[in-house]
Amino acid sequence: MKSEILYPGAFPMARVELGSGEQIKAESGAMVACSPTIDIESKMEGGFLGALSRKFLTGEKFFFQTLKATRGAGEVLLAPTVPGEIVVLELDGVNEYMVQKDGFLAGADGITIDSQMQSMSRGLLGGEGFFILKMSGKGMLLLNSFGAVHKIELKPGQEYIVDNSHLVAWSTTTSYNIEKATSGWVASFTSGEGFVCRFRGPGLVYIQSRNPGGFGAWVRQFIPVTE
Amino acid sequence: MNELHPNALCFGDEFPASGAPCLVHVEGQGMTITFLSDHEGGESRSEFVEFSQLNISAGGLDHNQLVAAWVGPAGQRMLYLKSPELIRAFRHTAPSQLSQPLEQAAEQVRQVRHRHRMVWGLVSGTVLAMVLGLWFGSDLLVELAVDRIPVEWEQKLGESTYREFLAGQSVTKDGPAVSAVTEMTQRLASQVPNNPYRFEVTVVKSDVVNAFALPGGYIVVFTGLMKKADSPDEVAGVLAHELNHVLQRHGLERIIKQLGFVAVVSIALGNPPGLGGIMKQLGIELMTLKFGRAQETEADMTGLQLLYRAKINPDGMITFFQRLAEKDEGRVEWFSTHPMSSARADRLKAQLAEMPKQNIEPFSFEWSKVQGALGSSLGSAP
Repeated sequence: MKSEILYPGAFPMARVELGSGEQIKAESGAMVACSPTIDIESKMEGGFLGALSRKFLTGEKFFFQTLKATRGAGEVLLAPTVPGEIVVLELDGVNEYMVQKDGFLAGADGITIDSQMQSMSRGLLGGEGFFILKMSGKGMLLLNSFGAVHKIELKPGQEYIVDNSHLVAWSTTTSYNIEKATSGWVASFTSGEGFVCRFRGPGLVYIQSRNPGGFGAWVRQFIPVTE
Repeated sequence: MNELHPNALCFGDEFPASGAPCLVHVEGQGMTITFLSDHEGGESRSEFVEFSQLNISAGGLDHNQLVAAWVGPAGQRMLYLKSPELIRAFRHTAPSQLSQPLEQAAEQVRQVRHRHRMVWGLVSGTVLAMVLGLWFGSDLLVELAVDRIPVEWEQKLGESTYREFLAGQSVTKDGPAVSAVTEMTQRLASQVPNNPYRFEVTVVKSDVVNAFALPGGYIVVFTGLMKKADSPDEVAGVLAHELNHVLQRHGLERIIKQLGFVAVVSIALGNPPGLGGIMKQLGIELMTLKFGRAQETEADMTGLQLLYRAKINPDGMITFFQRLAEKDEGRVEWFSTHPMSSARADRLKAQLAEMPKQNIEPFSFEWSKVQGALGSSLGSAP
């Protein structure tokens, strides 16, 4: 399985080459085009209950689509819904990543996707909801972001502060605390930052250069109100 | 040695920030750490760390990983162990001087898990208590709020809705039907002690078998109800029921309850997506329905007492519900604003049985003439 990012920038597309018999799972609706040798199936990852909990708890799609090169090798073109970069991670069986709910684009068959419950404070204040996706296993993982993706590398004990709505993915060797952005409550909100996550290494944190919620609020003011 | 499956991540200055995958093997005196080569066919290299060099703690996102740190020839190193078998092997083999830090790390993990469980338990408990409190305690709060609203406000509220409704309807202004309904209302209203309301009843031409009351004492009776009624007592029974909706201020209670409940639920839950949103909507619906049923039952009971005091035959109310019950089949009480008609008839019968016999005074009009004036065709059975 080989992957390549076409048109890097705001409107990229991922090209994945599948060997005969290989398969990849992708977010439902992510397939743009594929070779005639590829079969598309929709599959409920983790069984019905797993799919149900993922749908209701993380807001992720109920079905993933499985693209399988049943009739010989072929290629698949995949793209996310929102404008923004695609990043490729290689999981080796010990690396694990937490991914915010809209971040998953596609993964090799060896990748396991679980929805995991967060602690109360992280769920309430973290901005990703109580349930996020945990990616483990072995193989290629494609994530998408809103805007550009920036990788932060943290050495053991090194700290970094991230606005919670800009998070895409972070490795499970990191830890983080939710904090007010400034020392005072009022200033925290008037500064426009609200809550931030203080990450502590070692590990990687992927962030996106645009905030989907902020963008939504900005667009809303231009939508005429009809009632 | 080609088939190496890494079971830990090692961090250090010469490794990438995501950590170097490695294979850890626990032995008598320490651990052998084998780093896999980046490219195929490359040499894998190993190093050995003694237990005595290690500093142990719990780490990772959920504090569920065992972190071993030491200073080697290449500088500061940190090893993240996650696999349960590996952690077990480590705890089993580690010498006694490490058992205290190991126990501390395990205690830290237990505390984190315990705290998570406590917080979740507390929050679920609070939510449950709020739901139960709303379900059972809200009636009292609503009553308190309703008591503070003057009757004049209620009348204004009812009147505007009433006029608006009548504007689009064909109203029967006079005739036997109007005088019959007026007589019934007057007989019933005269039995209400300290009545603050001036009841206004309008007969509206429509085949709907129903009547309704608006806050402030505005009542509408449809001719359909009068045509279908076997006796004036049945119509009087429905009127007594509707009059009591007004007297108990059910309309206001309903408005306040709906407003308050939606507000409280929205504050507590916000606008949750997915399952949460569905649960919220369902909760509001069920609450509204439960409230509706309680009001109907109250209006039935007080209506029956009013009929009794006005010396109108209360059997009419019961027979009316019995006839409605025939249409009820397949309805589930829990999902209805009104209680099941058969259950209502049974409750009324039980209540009536407890009351002493009362002399019945007939109405001054003749029911068949009233129905005749409405153009009732008895041939067209339902």
